[in-house]
Amino acid sequence: MRRRTQHNDVLAISERELTVMTEDLDQMHHDIGMPAMNAAVAEWTEKIRTSRRGFLIGAGAVAGGALLAACSSGSSSPTTTAAPKSSPSGGSSSGKLTGDLAVAALAASLENLAVAAYGDVLTAAGAGKLGTVPPAVATFVTTAKGQHAQHAQAWNSAIVAAGHPAVTATDPVLTPVITADFAKVTDVPGAANLALMLENVAAETYQNAISVVKATSSVKVAASIQPVEMQHSAILYFALGQYPVPNAFSPVTGARPLTDYTG
Amino acid sequence: MRRLKERRSAPDETVDIDPRAMGALIEQSQDIHRNAMTVTDDSLTEMVESGREARANGEIDPEESRQVAERRSRMMTGAAFGGGLLAAAGIGAALQGLFASEAFAASATDVQILQTASSIEVLAVATYKTALTLPFIGGSSANPVVKAFATTTMQQHAQHLSAFNAAITQLGGKPQTNPDPALGKVVQAAVPGLTSPGPVVALALELEQGAAETYVADVAALSDLNAKKVTASIMGVEAQHASVLLAVQALLNANAPQLITLAAGNVANLPAAAGSVGFPQAFFPTDQARPATEGALS
Repeated sequence: MRRRTQHNDVLAISERELTVMTEDLDQMHHDIGMPAMNAAVAEWTEKIRTSRRGFLIGAGAVAGGALLAACSSGSSSPTTTAAPKSSPSGGSSSGKLTGDLAVAALAASLENLAVAAYGDVLTAAGAGKLGTVPPAVATFVTTAKGQHAQHAQAWNSAIVAAGHPAVTATDPVLTPVITADFAKVTDVPGAANLALMLENVAAETYQNAISVVKATSSVKVAASIQPVEMQHSAILYFALGQYPVPNAFSPVTGARPLTDYTG
Repeated sequence: MRRLKERRSAPDETVDIDPRAMGALIEQSQDIHRNAMTVTDDSLTEMVESGREARANGEIDPEESRQVAERRSRMMTGAAFGGGLLAAAGIGAALQGLFASEAFAASATDVQILQTASSIEVLAVATYKTALTLPFIGGSSANPVVKAFATTTMQQHAQHLSAFNAAITQLGGKPQTNPDPALGKVVQAAVPGLTSPGPVVALALELEQGAAETYVADVAALSDLNAKKVTASIMGVEAQHASVLLAVQALLNANAPQLITLAAGNVANLPAAAGSVGFPQAFFPTDQARPATEGALS
C-alpha cells in the first residue's frame, strides 16, 4: 500500500513536469520548426507560381517512373480504419498531376489516411471499444493526428499553388485494407500496431521520394517530414514494448507506389 | 544546442526486466536491420559506378569544391533564393568555369558533406563508448533499457560511419576517421559533468539531434543520388535516437526511471505527456545542422 502511494506521488510529479516540458517543446516547435518549414513551403510554392511549367510539373514522367519502379514491390498491404473519405480523385484533377506534384499528391493522401485513422481511434476509444486507453496513448494519438494534418497541408501547398484542388482523399489502395483491419481491432495494442504500420509506410514513402523528386524544395519538404514519422514509429514501438529503433538504416521496401493515387 | 532545461538528477535505480527478453528483442531488431542493410548495400554498389565515372574526370580540387559547398550551404538556409540569380549573374566567368566541371565539383562537395557526416559518426561512437564505461550507463547499476540503448545505438552509429566512409571512397575521396572538431569540443567540455544519467542523456540528445538535422540538410545539398539515398536512410534513425532520448530524459527529469522499461503494459503507467514528448515538432528543423565542411578533410 505504501509502495503504491509512493508510485502515485512519482507519477503526479512526472505529469506536472512532463506537461511543462511538453509546453516548452511545443513552443520550440513554433519558434524553430515551423519557420523553417514555412520557408521551404514558400520556396516550393513560389517556384510553381513563377513557373507553372517549372520543374516540379515538368519533371513528370522521369520522376514518376522512378518512383513506380522503386515502389512496385510495396503494393501488398496492411491495415485498417475508416471508409475512404472521398473518391480516389479526391475532387482533384489527379490525372494531370505528374512529377513532384504526383509524389506530393500520394503523400497528401497518406497523410489524410493517417489523420482519418487516428480520428477513428479516438472515436473508438471514446466509445469504449478499445478498453482502457492509457493517458499517454491518448496524448500520442491526438498529437500525431495534429502533426499529420500539418503534413497534409504542407504537401497540398504545392498542389494548390500549381492550380489544382487540394488532395482530400485518403490513399485509395491502402484505405480499404486499413478499414478492414481496424474493424478487427479491439484493444490499444491492436490500434498501436495499425498506427505503426501507417507511420512506417509514410516514412518509407517519403524517404523514397527524396531520391525521386527533382526540385530541391521538394526534397526539403520530404526530408523535414520523414524523420517525424520515424519518431512517431519509435514511440509506438516503445509503447508496444518493442525495441524503439529496430533498424540502423531505414528501409524503403514498404514505400507506396504512385499508382496508389494516380491509378 | 537545444533549449534543454536543467533538471535535478534522477537517482540510480534499477528496474525489473528479463534480460533474455531484452536480448531477444535486440536479436529481432538486428534481423530487421540486416534486411534494411540490403537496401543500403544496393545504394552503395550503385555509388561505386558513379564514383568511377566521377574519378574519370580528374582529381578533386579542394578550393573548387569548397566554393560549391559554400554555395550549397547558402541554398540550404534559403539565403540563395531571392537574390540568388542576381548574385550568380555577377560572378560571370568564375561561374562558367564552375559549370564546366559541375558534375565533378558537385562530387567533391558530396565528399566533403559525407566526410562531415563521418566525423559526426566517429564522435557519436566514441561518446557512447565512453558513456558505457560509466557504471550508471553500462555497469551493474544501469537501467537495462538505457544500457541496451547505448550499446545498440553505438553499434548503429558504427554502421553509419562505415556506410558514409564507403560512400566517400566510392566517390574518390578519403574516408574520415576523426571526430567532428567543433562537436568534439562540446563533448570534451561535457565529460567532467557526466556524473549521473541525466547529463549523459542530454549530451547524447545534443549529438543525435545535431546529426539528424545535419543529414536532413544534407539530402537537399547532395548531388550524387546514391549518397543522397544512404544519407536519407540514416537521418530518420538519428531522429528516432533523439526521440527515445527525449522520452528517457523526460522520465529521468520526472524522477520516474522505473518507467524506462520495455515491459509489457508499461504504457499504462506512463504520464499523459509522455505520449508526445518524443516528437516535439511536426517538421524536423535544420537550424542545428552542422556546416557542410566542418568535418571535411582539407
